[in-house]
Amino acid sequence: MGAPLLLALSEGHHEVSTSVTLLFTGLLVALIVSLALEEKIHAKKSLIVGVYAIVALFLGIVFEVVPGSVPVHIGGETLTLPIYIPSIDWGVIAIILGSSLFVDVTSKSGLFTWIAIKLTKASAGDPRKLLWFYGLMTVVFSAVLNNVTAMIIVGSLTGVSLRKLGRAELMLGFLLVEGLLTNIGGLLTLISSVPNIIVGTAAGISFVSFFIAAAPFVTAATALTIWMGAKLFKIPSLQTDEERTQALEQVESFDENDGIESAGFFKFATAMLVAFILVIATTSVLPVIKELGMGYVALTFAAIMLIRYKSSVDTYYRAVDWDLLGFFAALFVVIGVMEHAQVLAMIGSGLEVIIGWGDVAGTGAILIASAVASSVTDNIPLAAMLAKILSSLGTASDSPLWWSVVFGANLGGNLTPIGSASTLVAVTIMHKNDLKVSFAGFVKKAVPYAAVQLVIAVAYVLLFL
Amino acid sequence: MTQVDQFESVFRAASKPVFHPAAVELERVLVVTDLPPSEAEAFGQRIEAFLRHATSVESATFTTIAGVEARSTGQLLQLVEDSAPSLVCAYRNLFSDGWKWPHSLGEALDLLTQTTEAPVLVLPNPKEGSEAEHALQNVNQVMAVTDHLAGDDRLVNWAVAMTQDQGTLTLSHVEDETVFERYVDIIGKIPSIDTDSARESIKARLLKEPRDYIESVREVLAKGGAPVSVQAEIRLGNHLSDYRAMVHDHEVDLLVLNTRDDEQLAMHGLAYPIAVELRNIPLLML
Repeated sequence: MGAPLLLALSEGHHEVSTSVTLLFTGLLVALIVSLALEEKIHAKKSLIVGVYAIVALFLGIVFEVVPGSVPVHIGGETLTLPIYIPSIDWGVIAIILGSSLFVDVTSKSGLFTWIAIKLTKASAGDPRKLLWFYGLMTVVFSAVLNNVTAMIIVGSLTGVSLRKLGRAELMLGFLLVEGLLTNIGGLLTLISSVPNIIVGTAAGISFVSFFIAAAPFVTAATALTIWMGAKLFKIPSLQTDEERTQALEQVESFDENDGIESAGFFKFATAMLVAFILVIATTSVLPVIKELGMGYVALTFAAIMLIRYKSSVDTYYRAVDWDLLGFFAALFVVIGVMEHAQVLAMIGSGLEVIIGWGDVAGTGAILIASAVASSVTDNIPLAAMLAKILSSLGTASDSPLWWSVVFGANLGGNLTPIGSASTLVAVTIMHKNDLKVSFAGFVKKAVPYAAVQLVIAVAYVLLFL
Repeated sequence: MTQVDQFESVFRAASKPVFHPAAVELERVLVVTDLPPSEAEAFGQRIEAFLRHATSVESATFTTIAGVEARSTGQLLQLVEDSAPSLVCAYRNLFSDGWKWPHSLGEALDLLTQTTEAPVLVLPNPKEGSEAEHALQNVNQVMAVTDHLAGDDRLVNWAVAMTQDQGTLTLSHVEDETVFERYVDIIGKIPSIDTDSARESIKARLLKEPRDYIESVREVLAKGGAPVSVQAEIRLGNHLSDYRAMVHDHEVDLLVLNTRDDEQLAMHGLAYPIAVELRNIPLLML
């Protein structure tokens, strides 16, 4: 997948005064602060970043930082487009749009709820087993779907099943562990989270290479997190036969087939999900497909699934997270302007100093700094900015620095409740279930897990990547 | 967080009440009459012959009270309490000529159904002569009646216990159409809710829950080898007219229904009108 503007424009940089660079740096800082205060100012991300994009473009033209329009060469044709059109990485937008539509329609088949209930039954109602099963399911769903959808599915089932089992007092531990695991599962594949897509594609890492590199860490971090959760939240195993019989009876009353409206569509959706994963995994080697990229694959699979609901596709269009897509589009525009205003170059020189600390200290520091930054603001602009800077520094695709950004941007979300959209969903589900968890309360409970995850992430990146 | 609600709804819907069978053992059956001793004896024997068809009554002992034994309602209640029966059998408008005006169960029945621990089998008044032709012959066709069947194990267990071998147990559930239409009417005035979709979804869900529960009853009874065939009558309609039609269509021999409501002293809302109106067959009031 390419980033047309970023390449096209990088060839045309011109001198920018320090004062102009500082002005745009101030704008970038204001944007990051505004995103961190998203909940306080009651505004959606797309609008916040959209406003900054409008201001950045306006100032960019006024200070002659960016041109109003750029020529774009397509085949033998040359088109002149407003600067904000080619600024956007449409490949990323296509992946997110296609994947979310595909997942949304697939979930209507009842497949994900079927898996979730099957696992609940397999646990026989034993809370400790249930934590392991739900934890593993969270990781797999986060990897295959996306973090937020995974948290919504597993979190809502957790509420229902623990109440049914009369174990509502364990809900906080379950939801916290699941929230933390979404960000670990989000590390598993190239398309599991947006930072992965942005950094992975910028670095030129293939889907399979990404999976092979991330899987061992994800496995170890998952096992450790669940184990810690069971210990710290004192999640018990059932002790007596009477307890086991009662719990089994409770979970057996779940009907995994209740959400399946059509057995045929269920089977079709299962086959399509497997095919989707296979095609995405092999996109880079499939003839023709590799030219069109993962966005094309995601949109194609979405279109095939939508045929099932051909008369009501508008329902699914309405369900698309337009805030997220608008956010990305605007973000790409802001970052494009920042690049031309030499803001990224300035941050890059600071980053070069850190990288200069050496392979161990530099790589570790980038990972930790990415995590800390991601914990208080959105990890997507951070990933986009760092990916751009690392690209401009000519970082090799096998450099551990890319992985520092990927691991830091994902795991930083586990430090605070606002660190990632999925932990925010976890906290919202906690509140929905009358569990009062403050910002500080969440941090206090999450920090031991996040600290352990970051320590092993640094060790893993330094030793194996 | 609409999606959280959506998935919670899916999982809540997947969590279904499952029927838990429990044996109902009847040790002592007390037949209460206001008849002279000789007629009371004959009536008692007739009721015993009728009830002996039910497997749960096979080993029960029967006692009959004649009219002379209870001079007041207080005495009657005391007699019943002293007998500690597992089942009380009495007819409507006991110790009263209220049977001439078919608008009540009578004071004695009102009190018996609400104060005794044991269920009360309400029989047609022998003086009224309104018994259905098939009434009091056997318990081949038993019907359980409720407006909230899913999870009501006690009602179903009693209904199973009162059905004879190879008999048919009809589990019925009628959702009140008037109430339903009232809610749909209100939904129709809320712009954010699609009325047609809400109507269909709510109706489907209201009727699905009892259907699933009946399926569970059927499965559990078949697994346990109970020699009873279970059929379902689930609909949206008018309680009284629909139950009357069902009783007529199935030639029901015994109707089983809940009468007690922990939150009130009076009889359960659905039970009283059914008990007053369906006068020609026995009703087991739990």
